[in-house]
Amino acid sequence: MQVYTPPLRDMRFVLHELHGSAELSTLKGLEEVTPDLIDAVLEEAGKFVTEVLAPLNQSGDLEGCTYENGVVRTPKGFKEAYKAFCAGGWNGIACDPQYGGQGLPASLNKLVEEMLCSGNLAFGICPGLTHGAYEALKNHASQELKDRFLPKMVDGVWSGSMCLTEPQCGTDLGLVRTKAEPKGDGSYKVTGNKIFISAGEHDMAENIIHLVLARLPDAPKGIKGISLFLVPKFLPREDGSVGPRNGVTCTGIEHKMGIHGSSTCQMSFDEATGWLVGEPHKGMRAMFSMMNSERLSVGTQGLGLGEAAYQAAVAYAKERLQGRALSGAKHPDKPADPIIVHPDVRRTLMTMRAYNEGCRALAGWVARALDLMEHAQDPQERQRAEDFTALMTPIVKALFTDLGFEATSMGMQVYGGHGYIRDHGMEQYVRDARIAMIYEGTNGVQALDLVGRKLPAHMGRYLRSFFHPVLNYMDAKLDDENLGPLITPLSKAFGALQLATAHIAEKGLKDPEEAGAAATQYLRLFGMVALGYMWVRMAEVAFEKRVSNPDDAAFYDAKIATARFFMEKLLPDVAALWGSIKAGKASMMALDEAMF
Amino acid sequence: MTNVSDIKTFTDIGGFDIKKVAVIGAGVMGAGIAAHVANAGVEVLLLDIVPEGAANRNAIAEKAVEKLLKADPAAFMSKRAARLVTAGNIEDNLGDLASCDWIVEAVIERLDIKQALYAKIEAARRPGSAVSSNTSTIPLGDLTAGLPDSFKRDFLITHFFNPPRYMRLLEIVAGADTNPATVAAVARFADVKLGKTVVTCKDTPGFIANRLGTYWLQLAVGEAFRLGLKVEEADAVMGRPFGFPKTGVFGLIDLVGLDLMPHVQGSLKRALPLSDPFHATLRDEPLISKMIETGYTGRKGKGGFYRLNRDNGGKAKEAIDLSTGAYRPQEKASVPELEDGGGKDIFALLEAPGTAGRYARSVMAKTLAYAARLVPEAADDIVAIDDAMRLGYNWKFGPFELIDKIGAARLKSLLAADGEEVPALLALAADTPFYRVENGTRQYLALDGSYRDIVRPDGVLLLADIKLKSQPLLKNGSAALWDIGDGVVCLEFTSKSNSLDEGIITLLGKALKLVKDKHKALVIYNEGSNFSVGANLGLALFACNIGAFGEVEKLVAAGQKTYQDMKYAPFPVVAAPSGLALGGGCEILLHASAVQAHAESYIGLVECGVGVLPAWGGCTAMLERWATDPKFPKGPMPAPSKVFETVSTATVAKSAAEAKELKFLREGDGITMNRDRLLADAKAKALALLEGYAPPKPVEFFLPGPTGKVAMDMAVAGFAKRGMATKHDTVVSGVLAEVLTGGSADHIEPVPAAKLLELERDGFMKLIRTTATLDRIEHILETGRPLRN
Repeated sequence: MQVYTPPLRDMRFVLHELHGSAELSTLKGLEEVTPDLIDAVLEEAGKFVTEVLAPLNQSGDLEGCTYENGVVRTPKGFKEAYKAFCAGGWNGIACDPQYGGQGLPASLNKLVEEMLCSGNLAFGICPGLTHGAYEALKNHASQELKDRFLPKMVDGVWSGSMCLTEPQCGTDLGLVRTKAEPKGDGSYKVTGNKIFISAGEHDMAENIIHLVLARLPDAPKGIKGISLFLVPKFLPREDGSVGPRNGVTCTGIEHKMGIHGSSTCQMSFDEATGWLVGEPHKGMRAMFSMMNSERLSVGTQGLGLGEAAYQAAVAYAKERLQGRALSGAKHPDKPADPIIVHPDVRRTLMTMRAYNEGCRALAGWVARALDLMEHAQDPQERQRAEDFTALMTPIVKALFTDLGFEATSMGMQVYGGHGYIRDHGMEQYVRDARIAMIYEGTNGVQALDLVGRKLPAHMGRYLRSFFHPVLNYMDAKLDDENLGPLITPLSKAFGALQLATAHIAEKGLKDPEEAGAAATQYLRLFGMVALGYMWVRMAEVAFEKRVSNPDDAAFYDAKIATARFFMEKLLPDVAALWGSIKAGKASMMALDEAMF
Repeated sequence: MTNVSDIKTFTDIGGFDIKKVAVIGAGVMGAGIAAHVANAGVEVLLLDIVPEGAANRNAIAEKAVEKLLKADPAAFMSKRAARLVTAGNIEDNLGDLASCDWIVEAVIERLDIKQALYAKIEAARRPGSAVSSNTSTIPLGDLTAGLPDSFKRDFLITHFFNPPRYMRLLEIVAGADTNPATVAAVARFADVKLGKTVVTCKDTPGFIANRLGTYWLQLAVGEAFRLGLKVEEADAVMGRPFGFPKTGVFGLIDLVGLDLMPHVQGSLKRALPLSDPFHATLRDEPLISKMIETGYTGRKGKGGFYRLNRDNGGKAKEAIDLSTGAYRPQEKASVPELEDGGGKDIFALLEAPGTAGRYARSVMAKTLAYAARLVPEAADDIVAIDDAMRLGYNWKFGPFELIDKIGAARLKSLLAADGEEVPALLALAADTPFYRVENGTRQYLALDGSYRDIVRPDGVLLLADIKLKSQPLLKNGSAALWDIGDGVVCLEFTSKSNSLDEGIITLLGKALKLVKDKHKALVIYNEGSNFSVGANLGLALFACNIGAFGEVEKLVAAGQKTYQDMKYAPFPVVAAPSGLALGGGCEILLHASAVQAHAESYIGLVECGVGVLPAWGGCTAMLERWATDPKFPKGPMPAPSKVFETVSTATVAKSAAEAKELKFLREGDGITMNRDRLLADAKAKALALLEGYAPPKPVEFFLPGPTGKVAMDMAVAGFAKRGMATKHDTVVSGVLAEVLTGGSADHIEPVPAAKLLELERDGFMKLIRTTATLDRIEHILETGRPLRN
C-alpha cells in the first residue's frame, strides 16, 4: 500500500541537527530563514503532498497522459493539483524574489522536492523542468528575456521544458541537427525534431517555454557548434498575455514503463520563433547549469521513491502474518508472526532505511554547498562549494537513483507476490524509479563524468573538497569512545577510496579505457564512503542528543543502530569494489566484438 | 650539429688561439657580441666612432656597455665578465688592434663605410690576425673588393644572430682567398669558447637563415592578408603545429621589429636574381608600411600586430584587424583544424579543406620547396640548412626534417597540384627520406643521392647518438641509464619536462648500486631543453588533494636517502645541467661530487615560490656550503642567514657563472660554453676525479636555534609590512627559518646532518598540508606563474 507520511522528523534532523541550519540565516539574502520558518514550510509541504498529490499517484499511473491531435491531456486531477501547487507558491520557493520567487535555500527546497517525488513523481517532473529552465535563463539569458519570461515561470503560469534529444542523438549532443537561422530582428527561426521531451506538451500551464539546442548557420562541427534558444509555445504579447501559437507542435507521446502521469513528447519545430540564450555556439555551457541542477533533482527522485517504498514495506512487514520467528513465536496470540520478525526481512528493511537516511544526509551536505555557492560572501568559500558540488553531482545522480531503484525492488520483495501485482502500488515505484537511472545522462555517463572530468580537474582539486574534511574528521574522532568503532571501518573504506582514486588517476592517464572500465564501480565506492561519513557524523549527533534530549532518545538510538548497520553490513562492499577496480579492464575488453 | 666536414678540417688544420678580441661598432649586435666574448672569459675591446664635439670620446661604446649591463635578458653572464670589456673609440684606440687576435666589424650596413674602416684596420692590425664582418646582407666579394691580398687572406664573414649570447647559430662565410687556418681559428673559438654552432655558408645573399626565414615570413604575412586570416589564426597555424616558435609569424615580427623587415627584404630584393621565387612572394602591404611610418613597429614601438593597450589604466590585450588596421580585443584563435589533437599530423593539416589548411599549405609547401632550392646554392648540404633554421629561427625541426615528417613524395604531389616547380633536391628525395639511421648512425641525403654519416667534431658526445647505437643498462618510465664508454655511465631523465618523480629516484638508487659494482663513475645528464624543473608537482598535488600525505612523505624520505647515498657514494658522480635546474633538480647538483654545467644553466632552489621548502637535502647542503667556506664569517648565524636569503626568495642564478656566486655551484665546478660539448666535458671531469677519489666527510652544524629563527621572522615581518611579502610567504619563511636554524638547537651542541634532514621533511609536510600551498602549486601548474597569496 502506498502509505506515505513525510519523514519530517528525519528531515529536521538532517537540516537542523546534522548540518546546522543556524548557519543559513548568517548568509546574505537568507537572513529570514529561521528554524521556525523552515519547520513551517516543511510542515505545509508535507500536508500538500499527502492531501493533494499522493492521492493522485496511483490513479495518474493507471490513466496516464493521452494524446490527440497535438494536444496532451494529463490524468484526471493533475490540472487542478497543479493550480493548487502554483497558488500555494510551491513552484517558486527556491527562486529569486526579484522574479517573484520565495528565495528559500536549496537546503530546504531539496527536502520539499523529496516529498514531491515520494508522493507523486510523475506530477513533480513538470515543475522540476520549469525550475531547470529557470536556472538556465537566470544564469545565461539577457536581462530582457529574463524580465519577459521568468516571472511567469516562477509563479508556474508558464512551465518549462528541455529540448536536447533528437532521434540520432542522446548522450552525444554534438550530433544535434536542429537549425536556427537569424531572422534579422534579433530573433531566430528554429527548425527540427526533438524526442523524449518531458512535459513538452500538457494542459496544466498557460504556456510552455522550451529551451532548445540548435545550430546556427555558421556553427562549427560537433559540440562546439551548439547554441541554446528559448522557444515559447505561444508568443507572448507586450502586455505579457499569450499571443499567437508559435511553430512548435507535439506530434506524439511515448508509451513507456513508468511515470505515466508525465508526458514524454515528440516535438516538431517548424520555423518556430526563438531567442538566443547566452552566446552563440556556447549553448552547452548554458545547458549545463540546467543539467547540473536537474541531475541533483533526479538524484532526489531516487531518494524520494526509496523512502516511499520503505514506508510501504514497513507497513506491510508489520501487518502481514506468515510463519513464526526462528527464535520462537513472538505473537503467540496471532495465527502467525508478522514477517518483520525474520532476519532477512530485517536486512531488507534496514538496508532501505540506511540508504535512504544516508542519502538524505548527503543530499543535505550538497544542498548546503549549493546555498554557499549562491550566498557566501568569501569568494574562496564559494569556490570550495562549487568544487564540491561539481564533484558530487554525478555521485548524487547515479548513486541515489541506483540505490532508489534497489530500494523499490526490495520494497516489492517484502510484499512477495502482492508487490508484483498492481493493487499495492509497489510495482509502480519500481517502474517509476527505473527511468531515473537513465535520463539526465545515464548512470554510466555520470560515472564517466566523475572519472573523466571531475577527478582530474585542476589536478584533483575538486576531490580535496571531499577528501580533506573526511580525513580531518577521522583524525579528530579516532579516539572518541563512541565513534571509534565506527571510524575504523570508515577509515578502511576511505583507504580503499584513496587507492582506487590514485589507481584511476595513474592508469587512466595512460589509458582512458582503464578509467572507463573502473568508472561505475568507482562511483559506487565513492558514494558508499560518502554515505559512511554521513552515518558517522549522524551517529555523533545522536550520541550527544540522546543525552541532551532524552525525550527523543528512541529516535537517536535508532539512528545509532542504523549507523552501526551501515558500517558493519553495507560499507564492507567497498573492499570488493576496490578489488574489482584493481583488476583493471583486461577481462572486460578481452572478447572481440564478433564474439558477442 | 655543424657543417661537420668543415669543422673537422678546422680542427685538423689547427689555426691559432684567440686570446683577445676587438669589436668595432657598438650597436645592438656589436655590443652583444663583445659581451658574449667577455662571457667566454676573453678580454674584448669595444670601439665605436667619436661623436662629434663630444667631451667624452668613448661615449658611444661606454653607453653601449651601460646598456648591456641593464639588458633583459642579460647580455653578461656575470659581473666579472662585464669587467673584461674595455670601451674605446676607433681613433684613439686604433693602435690597440695590434694586440687583438680577432677583429669583428659590426658597423652600419654600408659598403663604403665598411671598406673605409677595413683600410684603417688593415693598417693597424697585427698581420695574420682574423678580421670578420657581422654583415647580414653584403656579399663577401663586395666587402673585400679592392682591398689588399693580405686582408683578403684573413677576412671572413661571421654572422651572429640577435641576441648574440642566446642565439646559438653563427653563419660563417669564407672567401676564395681566405686562409683556412684563419677560418679554423675563428670557427674553433666560436664553437668552444662562444658555444656557437658554426654553419658554413656560401657567399650568397642573406646566407641561409635570413634568406629562408625572410621568405617564410613574407609569404606567411602575405598569405594571411590574401586569405583573410586573423593574426591570431595565422599565428596558431604558423606556430606550434610545425614546431615554430609559439609567437607564430606576426608575434615574431612584433618581437624583432616591423621596421627591420623592409631592410632585409630590400637587400635581398636587390641582390637576388629575378628568377628567384623570392620576388614572387614579395608583396607590399600598405597597412604594414603605414604602421612603420606611424611608429607601430612592434614591441619596441607603439605596438605592432598585437599590443597591450594601457588606456584608462587598463592592460587590454589587443590585436590588429588586417583588413581595417584597427585594434580590437585579442581573441583566442578559433582554428577547429587544430583542436582535439588536430595539428599533430601536419600532412593532414596541409590537406585540410578550410582556410587554415589552405593557409598552411600555401605557406609551407613553398617554403619547404624554397629550402630545397638552397642546396647547393647557399649551402653544401641539407644539414647546414636545418641547423641554420633550428638555431637561427628557433624552429624545432629544420625544413628537411619537416619534409621527412610530411613525406617528400607527398610534398612533391602537393606542389605539382598547385602548379609549383619541384626543386631538383626534392625530386631526388621523393622516395627516400632526407635523414635515416643506418647501423646506429644518423645519415643525411647528399646531392649525389648517396647517404653520408653525420660526423660529430672532436669533443662532441651526444646521448642522442649513443642511444641509436646501444640499449640502456637500466630503464623505467621516467629515466634510463646508458653506457657512455670508459667505465662511465650516464643517467638520463625521460619524464615530462624532466620532472623528478618516484621513477627517477628509484632508478638513481639502482644506478648507484650498479656503478658501484660494475662501473667507475656516473654522469647525470640529459638532452632535454631543461635539466630538470624539479619535482613532479602535479603528482604531489593530486596525492595531497586525496589526502595521501603518507605517500608524499615517503617520496620525500626516499629522495633524501637516495641523494645522501649519491653524495657519499664511493665513486665520482658528475651532474651536467643545461637550461633550468630548479628545486629537486638543483638538489641533484648539490649532492653530486662535482658539476659540469652548460654556461646557460639557470639554477635555483625555488620551492618557497610554490609554498614548500627544499626537502631532498637542499637546505642542509646549502648550509654546509656556506658554513664550510673559509672566506665566509664564522659563527652560528651567518650561514643560515645567507641560505635563508637565497632560498626564501626563491633566487635563481641566471647563468652557471652566477650560480657559483650563489654557491649552487662550487669554484671547482666546470662550465661548458657549447651545449654539444657538455657530455664529453662531464665525462672527462668524472674520469679526472677517479684517481684517489674519496667521498666527502659528513659534517656537523652549529646552529642558532629559536633565537636565530626570531631574527629571521622579524626580517620577514618587516618585508610583510612593506608589502613585499604576502601572508603565506610569512608562513613559508617561518617554517624555512625553523629548519635552517636547527629547530630547537642551541649553538653549543652540534646538530648532525640527519637531524637537519628530519627538520626539512617535517617542515615540508607541515607546509604541503596547507591550502595556501596547494593553491600555489595548482596555480603554477595551470598558469606557469607563481601565485602571490
